[in-house]
Amino acid sequence: MEILLLILYPLALYRPRLILLALALHSVVIVSTAMRFGRIPLIGLHDTLGFLAFSIGTVYIIAGWNRKRDHFSFLTIPLILLFLAGSLVSPSMEGPLPPVLKTIWFELHVILSFVSYALFAVGAIFGVLFLLRGEQADESSQYQSLLLGYVLFSVAMIFGGIWAFLAWGTYWLWTPKELWTTIVWFFYSLYLHARLVRGWAGPKVVWMGIIGFAIVLFTYVGVGLLMKSSHEF
Amino acid sequence: MLNTMKNFFLSLKTTVWTLFALVCFFFIGAYMMPAHREVFLSMNDQILLRWVDNTASGNLRHTWWFFAAFAALVLLTINTLVCSLQAVKGKWSRADFLLRISPQIVHIGFLFILLAHLLGAGWGYKLSGMMPEGAYAPLPENRALHLQKIHVTTDARGYVLDWSAEAALFENNTPVKTGTLGPNKPLLYKGVGIHLKSLNFDRGPAALLVIARDPGVVWAFAGGVLFMLGSVTLLALKWKKV
Repeated sequence: MEILLLILYPLALYRPRLILLALALHSVVIVSTAMRFGRIPLIGLHDTLGFLAFSIGTVYIIAGWNRKRDHFSFLTIPLILLFLAGSLVSPSMEGPLPPVLKTIWFELHVILSFVSYALFAVGAIFGVLFLLRGEQADESSQYQSLLLGYVLFSVAMIFGGIWAFLAWGTYWLWTPKELWTTIVWFFYSLYLHARLVRGWAGPKVVWMGIIGFAIVLFTYVGVGLLMKSSHEF
Repeated sequence: MLNTMKNFFLSLKTTVWTLFALVCFFFIGAYMMPAHREVFLSMNDQILLRWVDNTASGNLRHTWWFFAAFAALVLLTINTLVCSLQAVKGKWSRADFLLRISPQIVHIGFLFILLAHLLGAGWGYKLSGMMPEGAYAPLPENRALHLQKIHVTTDARGYVLDWSAEAALFENNTPVKTGTLGPNKPLLYKGVGIHLKSLNFDRGPAALLVIARDPGVVWAFAGGVLFMLGSVTLLALKWKKV
């Protein structure tokens, strides 16, 4: 069924609202996995890449509801397909949640993190659109997307801290993953403040929104693969 | 001179460049930590000040980024305080009250979280170790812990579904609290948390416990709540204006 998503998502390149079909099937995949294992599929690269693709698709349809087929679709859909393909080639983890992950704080932490990653991705795409076309509306859309992403990411970090306190007695651990997560948070704080500096708004700040997503990607995939941490991903 | 300093701390550019410096220092730290594992291995096993005293100050070649980040955070704290004070000065009108106050609430939340880290780094304690079932362990403040019984639940395929441990806490040789520890279910007593991290059965049932007193926790929680309140309010107000 997941392979079918690779056919359904590209339909949005023909007509953006057709992504609803892919999102509906993707929801069925997520719900059926949840029912099969008794948990929301949020563990490991297979689950999280799939969830990230789904989140980007959801942000795409909300942000682009009134848009016709344009560069926004041509940039977003390949990104969704890339993450989806990554999910399909990654081994899935079967079985129930390990006991330490059985808490609402874990689910909230991960879901909010990936929804914010999706918003950062769409923000970066709006940034590329602004650089290509120079339309102010794209810069404003980037700001909206990144502002919402930043708030959700901050809440995700706070929930992660609550969970870590309950599990390990500390809301912060000095590990590369935590440092990278804080780098992401500092970087988007930097973006939001830089936008207010007179004369900085425009391409300079838009580039920050694009670079920010590269940092997010490394924090999510790179750190998980290259460095040992309390986080798997 | 005083005016120059005031303008420096009031400047948004100071915020931006300090945040940029923090990104750079943490980037270096994220590289240094796995590259020099021996220096950073004990960083999470004790309160931070002890690690700074025992390890970091003698290994400046690998830990300088940590001190630089600390200095940048001090600068950011002053910058945040000065900017927030300036922002709340002057006349207030009902129309823009929320728009003016919500960024300051975010800033206060952030400062509370920094304060929490500072308190947790300098005061309190953190102990961890493997404790066999049935054992007693002495704790600071004239307390002792008795790990009474360990339980593990598995499903038919052998997956571990849950684990727990019954424990009793003594103060001055008198039992003061009993309870069941589990993943994400600590036993809390007078600001001390006893956390069950994992189990081990190599030499009989034993639990890996973390016992921590962190005076910063309340501040971190308050800071988190303020940060969420302020940022969600600001988001709602700014959303329509974009």
